[in-house]
Amino acid sequence: MGTHIVQLERATKAFALPEGGTITALHGIDLDVERNEFLTLLGPSGCGKTTLLHAISGFVQLDAGKVRIDGDDVSDRPPHRRPVNTVFQNYALFPHMNVGNNVGYALDIAGTERKERNQRVGAALELVGLAGLENRLPRQLSGGQQQRVALARAIIARPKLLLLDEPLSALDRNLRQAMQIELKTLQAELGISFIFVTHDQEEALTMSDRLAVLNKGVIQQIDTSRTVYDRPTNAFVASFIGASNLFEGTAARSGGNTLIATADGLRIEAACSGGWKPGDGAAATALIRPEQFSLVGPGAKGPTIGIDIEQVVFTGLNFQIHGHTPSGRRIVAIIAAVRQADVASAEADGKARLGYDPAAVHLLPDDGTAAAEMAA
Amino acid sequence: MGSLRNVGVVGLFGYTILFFTFIYLPIVLIVAYSFNSDPINMMNWSGFTFDWYRQIFGLKNTVSENALYIESTEQLLNALRNSLTVAAFTTTIATVLGTATALGLYRFNFLGKKFYRVLLFAPMLMPDIVLGIALLIFFVGADVSLGLKTIIIGQCSFLISYVFIVVSARLAGMDRSLENASADLGADEWTTFRRIILPQAMPGVIGGALLAFIISMDDLVITYFISGVDTQTLPIFIFGMLRRGIKPEINAIATLMLLFSFAVASLGLYFRSRRG
Ligand SMILES: Nc1ncnc2c1ncn2[C@@H]1O[C@H](COP(=O)(O)OP(=O)(O)OP(=O)(O)O)[C@@H](O)[C@H]1O
Ligand SMILES: [Mg+2]
Repeated sequence: MGTHIVQLERATKAFALPEGGTITALHGIDLDVERNEFLTLLGPSGCGKTTLLHAISGFVQLDAGKVRIDGDDVSDRPPHRRPVNTVFQNYALFPHMNVGNNVGYALDIAGTERKERNQRVGAALELVGLAGLENRLPRQLSGGQQQRVALARAIIARPKLLLLDEPLSALDRNLRQAMQIELKTLQAELGISFIFVTHDQEEALTMSDRLAVLNKGVIQQIDTSRTVYDRPTNAFVASFIGASNLFEGTAARSGGNTLIATADGLRIEAACSGGWKPGDGAAATALIRPEQFSLVGPGAKGPTIGIDIEQVVFTGLNFQIHGHTPSGRRIVAIIAAVRQADVASAEADGKARLGYDPAAVHLLPDDGTAAAEMAA
Repeated sequence: MGSLRNVGVVGLFGYTILFFTFIYLPIVLIVAYSFNSDPINMMNWSGFTFDWYRQIFGLKNTVSENALYIESTEQLLNALRNSLTVAAFTTTIATVLGTATALGLYRFNFLGKKFYRVLLFAPMLMPDIVLGIALLIFFVGADVSLGLKTIIIGQCSFLISYVFIVVSARLAGMDRSLENASADLGADEWTTFRRIILPQAMPGVIGGALLAFIISMDDLVITYFISGVDTQTLPIFIFGMLRRGIKPEINAIATLMLLFSFAVASLGLYFRSRRG
């Protein structure tokens, strides 16, 4: 028995479109999910997240490739014979059954003895903070409570793996944040793997042990949140996770560093410690995260970028400076709240000089995302 | 400007009153006349009486020979018994077949499904008289003697469509992800059908059954063609009475039928509200 709870091997799925032709929702996906892992699938709408979950739960039959759960090849098993449970996006609670029967459904199907069944229903409801609500009907519950019932129903049969398809997207912001923490705690308590789908990048960064970024049916990067954020493997990931300033251009060696010369005359200096290193003359994109900029004076050492300020937003924790270079390239910088005086004077001038550390610049192979963003 | 709007409001109000008067006045009159003691001229109120009700149940025979229409209460009760028998059979058969058809079309895809659906709608759109003649020609051609049996078969041929449509509408509003959720929790297809699909279709099934029952009790045109000479249902019996003039007993029968329909409809609404 391997260490992986789920393994996808070259999973491929294409759907026939009603207007003719096909769309490939999964493009030969390889994915290993560790035991007790909180894995998040993140990607834009239509990238194949739900299809990937359905391939694991069995609602989608793969065209090619294999699904293994806990070492067993389940590719040909119907959904009801896979040891996996799902929290559906719209909850999918049975409207004609009360909360107790909804939660106890899996046990009733399995023929669990009455006393144990009731006791486990009670325990599951208690776990999600709904003790004693057995006799309510789903429609008599708030959105957040329905969400919890769906959760209790999905974990009661002690699945080896829980799949969650955007379970928090219908909740308001406060409730969503509270549920994020609760889910994370619950996952640790149950000691089972969660595969959690979202298209909210902030949610993905807070919750996951590992993060898989999906685009067009392909996993772009899978790693810890920190690594995906700091060292994205391509410009798509960089622009999808967190705000980013991308500079696409041509690489050139300069001393120990690499210079990226952009078409609009900027030269971005990168130290390139670790990560991808472009050859001389290669196309490359430099990534500078907004918080890596600092406000500097005219005589500053090190590389800088001059911008015209369009807007300064105070978020409570920091200042977001939105501006553009003389050539019109948009730049976002985040400056700590303690630098209030500098920000105020820069705002009065309408201009700012942003310094950055070449060691904090991350280089990516150019895949056209940055250019597409510029055009948009 | 303001006065113009006032004119509009008054006009709309007047229209509404007229509209409901138009719909309900005849019904209110029938109920009122059924308690009017004047045996000859219904328009002339000459006092309150239960006589017409007593008479249709054969309890009392106070009125002059001349005013009395119902030859025998037995005949009326016989027609009522026929109607109830037919309705019981047709409702059961149409509900079972219509529901099964709706569930089948909901669950499975097959070649010609759309065409099949159109075929199921057709009997509702067909003029009653055409359906009646067609059935009559069919039964005569097939050498089936006309009677209760042919009424039941004939009515089923269009009542199935009604039940099918009501149940289908209910199923169409059902959330397909519930089936996925059920399978996800370990239920096979049969269990999902029994525990998820059927209970949710139930209000539609009950609604369809009540509709079939009322239509069956009420049907005159088609039934008239296929009932044969000695089998009378309630509508045929009343129609026969009418041909010899409108007599006060008819008002009493109509009022009772109204009450009955109202009770059945209320029952249907009650089930609908209870099962969500
Ligand atoms: N049953 C289907 N028939 C045809 N196309 C489908 C079907 N299911 C999904 N697709 C297509 O496959 C692609 C991936 O769909 P999927 O539902 O996996 O996206 P997703 O990442 O979950 O998107 P979202 O964030 O909007 O839920 C989409 O282009 C979608 O249109
Ligand atoms: Mg989805």
